[in-house]
Amino acid sequence: MFIIALANQKGGVGKTTTAVTLASGFTQHQKKTLLIDLDPQGHIAFSFGFDKNPGLYRWLVLDEPLDEIVQTVRPGLDILSSDKRTESVKRHITLMDFRETILFDRLKDSDYDIILLDMAPSLDVLHINGLVACDWVLIPTRPDAMAVDGVKEILLTMGEITQRGHQFSGYSILPTFFDRTTRETITQFQEIVKTFGERVLPPIPQDTRVREAAAYGKTLWEYSPNSPAMTGYLEGKIQVGGYKQIVDRLMEVIDG
Amino acid sequence: MASRNLQRRTILDPAVADLLAGMENKQAEARLPRRVREKKAKERAKIRARRDQRVTYDLPPQLKQAMFELAESLSLPASQLATLALHRFLQSYSEGQIDLLKYKKPSRSPRYEWKLEFPAEWWQK
Repeated sequence: MFIIALANQKGGVGKTTTAVTLASGFTQHQKKTLLIDLDPQGHIAFSFGFDKNPGLYRWLVLDEPLDEIVQTVRPGLDILSSDKRTESVKRHITLMDFRETILFDRLKDSDYDIILLDMAPSLDVLHINGLVACDWVLIPTRPDAMAVDGVKEILLTMGEITQRGHQFSGYSILPTFFDRTTRETITQFQEIVKTFGERVLPPIPQDTRVREAAAYGKTLWEYSPNSPAMTGYLEGKIQVGGYKQIVDRLMEVIDG
Repeated sequence: MASRNLQRRTILDPAVADLLAGMENKQAEARLPRRVREKKAKERAKIRARRDQRVTYDLPPQLKQAMFELAESLSLPASQLATLALHRFLQSYSEGQIDLLKYKKPSRSPRYEWKLEFPAEWWQK
């Protein structure tokens, strides 16, 4: 089992879209995948065309078994939804012993191949739980100064968690909403590459199809598999970036 | 002590490196004077236009050299001589004047069933 957390304390950087698209991509590699929504906005279920429901609340507060509350949204892909009751989950966890490892403890015996944690853009007990539970942190970021600052915040938090004894296998930075024609994108991208080097993944181009897909309750694999967000840019003769390439890159990490 | 001229290398994802290099090239080009930019754009258009005419074949080095020498001696582009030669070959072949059977041998390649073996004396001067 390999757990990936999608985190950035800045909102609107593409965490949920990335989580949904990668989860669907992993199932195409015959990986049994679970996507857990840790954000009270509950947009994971919405993205697959389902209604929000308090799955996380039922699992962590009412102690219902995971396999009874997950929803199978596509073949090989289950989700655990969130809604506004996820706020109560945070209050509940805060009062518990060993509160920072609850998610880790509950997931360690799971039989999924890959678990994705879609984190809320905040720094609360659920967020820390997600980071403690995961093997790999994927940090989507827009190429703008505020989002890049969010990356630094996450890395500081990860540093604190590492000091307490947790070992991450690694992390990657995923530039999203990438528009290579603007000077600011180039400047920010250069900064990101200079700072994070090999940890920077090929970017996801800005693409209106992403918003359309969510509106129809479809994944990008279903709605628009050949759109720029999926296939990336043609740089010379090779494709660069796009979610298909990111799935391949992460499969290399997962399969070692 | 290590030399001060040494620079630590940043290892990048190859796709990121390609994209960044392409973007930086374009950015650098955008800063050039208009005339130079137009010249570069023309060169790129020329290269793009030629893309359909380009092909790569593996040839015996002696044949490649002979084509080069002939083109040089006639002061002609080798591509045009090759075009003439191939056109004449296709014409002769369609008229039944060329018999491939003489050269045809079974191939062990998984991709092709046959290969052509040419007499060694062709390549001896």
